[in-house]
Amino acid sequence: MAAFEYRQAQEIRDAFRRHGVRYLFIGKSGAILLGFPDTTQDADLFVEKSKENGLALVRALRELGFPLTEHQAGEIEWGKDFVQLKNGPFDLDLVFAPDGIERFEDAWKRRVDIEGFPVCHIDDILASKAAANRQKDRESLPRLRSFRDYWLGKNRKTR
Amino acid sequence: MEKEWLEEFEAAARRPLSLRMRYAFIKTYKPVLDDAPYRSFDTMEEYRRWCEENLPDWLGYGRV
Repeated sequence: MAAFEYRQAQEIRDAFRRHGVRYLFIGKSGAILLGFPDTTQDADLFVEKSKENGLALVRALRELGFPLTEHQAGEIEWGKDFVQLKNGPFDLDLVFAPDGIERFEDAWKRRVDIEGFPVCHIDDILASKAAANRQKDRESLPRLRSFRDYWLGKNRKTR
Repeated sequence: MEKEWLEEFEAAARRPLSLRMRYAFIKTYKPVLDDAPYRSFDTMEEYRRWCEENLPDWLGYGRV
């Protein structure tokens, strides 16, 4: 499996838009979209957990080339908290209940649009990483917090 | 803010998104994690626990 590419992010954006999927880029991939210079391996999507959105998500994933079985489609439609897909054209982590974020709706209201990509606000990305409290997050948090200050300052100036 | 970090943030801000993403996404094999085509977890707690019990420590998925 090759590294995730900009073109594939566009494919997600376009397919999810066509099917009306409500989602946000989250995690380090979300931070990278906001401008954070770092490396990561996977794209993480925070997806609204609802039957309707689950059905739309399955349709979009199949269109993108993920060969979901009926059982897997059912799990995505009915709501797991976390699904890891490594059987498609690129790797994708679907997070339905990220640590540190109470409700999808709250994160949706705070979202940032980057070239049509819906991205979690930097504060939500930080909150989820801090709440997950993994070793790898702990190591990247100081730099990500600095980026938050930089990003907020820059966006205050440009708005 | 560390001067080096500020310089990196400013340099990244000057690059177009497509280039930022080309630099950012890498692929290396992660043992165990990359060995199944599909996994699902009912709760995040279940996922975190699975990571701690099954993944090598050096991958950094264990909680502190």
